[in-house]
Amino acid sequence: MSKKKLTDSNSYIIIYSCLMVVIVAFLLAFVSSSLKPAQDVNVALDKKKQILAALNIRHLDNKQSAAKYNEVVEADAIINIDGNYIEKGTQGGEKAGFRLNSADYKNGKLAVYECNVGGERKYVVPVFGQGLWGPIWGYIAVNADGNTIYGAYFSHEGETAGLGAEIKDSQTWQEQFAGKTIYDAVGKTILKVLKKSEVRNPQSEVDAVTGATLTSVGVSDMLQEGFSKYQKYLRK
Amino acid sequence: MAFFSNRIKEVFLSPLNILNPVLVQVLGICSALAVTSQLKPAIVMGIAVTIITAFSNLIISVLRTTIPTRIRIVVQLVVVAALVTIVSQVLKAFAYDVSVQLSVYVGLIITNCILMGRLEAFAMQNTPLQSFVDGAANGLGYGMILVIVGGIRELLGRGTLLGYQIIPDVAYEHGYLNNGTMTMPAMALIVIGIIIWVHRAYFYKNDK
Amino acid sequence: MDHIITLFFRSIFVDNMIFAFFLGMCSYLAVSKNVKTSIGLGLAVTFVLCVTVPVNYLLQTLVLGPDCLIKGVDLSYLAFILFIAVIASIVQLVEMVVERFSPALYGALGIFLPLIAVNCAIMGASLFMQQRIGLDPSSPQYIGSILDALVYALGSGIGWTLAIVSLGAIREKMAYSDVPKPLQGLGISFIVVGLMALAMMCFSGLKL
Repeated sequence: MSKKKLTDSNSYIIIYSCLMVVIVAFLLAFVSSSLKPAQDVNVALDKKKQILAALNIRHLDNKQSAAKYNEVVEADAIINIDGNYIEKGTQGGEKAGFRLNSADYKNGKLAVYECNVGGERKYVVPVFGQGLWGPIWGYIAVNADGNTIYGAYFSHEGETAGLGAEIKDSQTWQEQFAGKTIYDAVGKTILKVLKKSEVRNPQSEVDAVTGATLTSVGVSDMLQEGFSKYQKYLRK
Repeated sequence: MAFFSNRIKEVFLSPLNILNPVLVQVLGICSALAVTSQLKPAIVMGIAVTIITAFSNLIISVLRTTIPTRIRIVVQLVVVAALVTIVSQVLKAFAYDVSVQLSVYVGLIITNCILMGRLEAFAMQNTPLQSFVDGAANGLGYGMILVIVGGIRELLGRGTLLGYQIIPDVAYEHGYLNNGTMTMPAMALIVIGIIIWVHRAYFYKNDK
Repeated sequence: MDHIITLFFRSIFVDNMIFAFFLGMCSYLAVSKNVKTSIGLGLAVTFVLCVTVPVNYLLQTLVLGPDCLIKGVDLSYLAFILFIAVIASIVQLVEMVVERFSPALYGALGIFLPLIAVNCAIMGASLFMQQRIGLDPSSPQYIGSILDALVYALGSGIGWTLAIVSLGAIREKMAYSDVPKPLQGLGISFIVVGLMALAMMCFSGLKL
């Protein structure tokens, strides 16, 4: 090139890139901070819907779900592995147990949603586990006796659609859990998910999803582990 | 009217059929396959990519005389990354369930070769209006394939479209089964392979 | 230790970049015409992955995560831009090194080295890494240290190389097959990759 263009000079490049970085950073910071509240509401709402689904309250729109959650959930408590309260939580709570995630769960900080459905006390407990492809989790509603399941909801990150994903998509499969017994007389967790041919004790064993053996094993392990953690609390 | 000049029309139409970015130029395949197991995320992804290609083309075209040649790739990447960040934030705020389904693939729009390809090949040389139309058309061409593949896979894999049941119950009663394999990643590749076959057989049948 | 071995093999076989996530398809299909260039590109991708994923891991955990730099400030919306910037600069560096020390490889890979910057596999690995930090530690996919990040990058790179080399070999042989004309080239490659992906599905659920 015979003549150097202005846009190729070093100082121009430096000024240009600095300017670009500043403009982009401000733009993104602005967008992110203005949308943050709406995003947080969405994340919370999604969790509330899952908790409600465990209580067999499904197919509500966003507004109804938020209202229903406030009405039904009396406290989002935090308990420890010995079944003692760490925090009591609040009505329609989003601050205590609601904030916990799967890491807290592993470390023995457990969330319990104490709910009131039509005058009856229900406990919703979250459980976390591993499916075939990635994490799976669920919310299980337990009756006031601390031993009978009232309803269940499961979800997953990347199980195979039509097979493993049925744990989330098939309401019929989730409804099978209602009425099952969790613990035996000495407090051992006997709730399991088994292949149809291996079910011996239908009172506490649930049919696996057809064709999704490994995901079902994951659900079964998740329930076994989860309910042993909650055993002291639920059997008080 | 300038807007309907032949040049614009040509720029708009060619990516939709004979120069389809996915089928002919093999650009942007990565995300095309992963999000198409159902129709809804495929449509959202198509729209997102169309918006991003159109506006990044526009911005780069407006800036094209001021961009220093040596750092032009970086400038393009920054513009694209900023747009993608905005789109992903908006999705999280207003279409949460879809943003969960698309997961990291929204971020991967940045590395979608259609974007960089169009910026380098078109927006750096053409006027803003033409570039905008070119970007939109390429995005639509891409979205079209996504929708076709997503539709086929959801219909055959789940018997539904957009979540509504299409295959009648009668068919299931007579032994029809959903083909679960269709929802697996591998089938997306095979479906696209077949679409390319049909597309080539149709558009190039007069070739020697 | 168990975790690292599982993570390594899972990222090669189960969470394979090509067969499970379709990442890096553009250069994958364009370069896999023969085994020799395939190996070259595979190695380049593996190398770039092994550098960028750990660097981005540090960036994510030390700068971008919630409460990292300033208490109460979550900078994760800058992730896209910073990741792509790191990737682009490291690719530039690799390109200079390859050009200096192996002109033959540089000649063979030609324009594809700069394309690595927009290779979805590279960006995808960083985004998946970001997502996996949030998983619970007992998950086989969990990435909790820089060593995990390195192992994940290495495994993904090897998986990618494996995929591109085997497709390269198949395409070399396929030159002698009688493929219908419109299906030749791209179409049949897609279908072959689809069938390979189906075969790879037998590794799903792999536990060590």
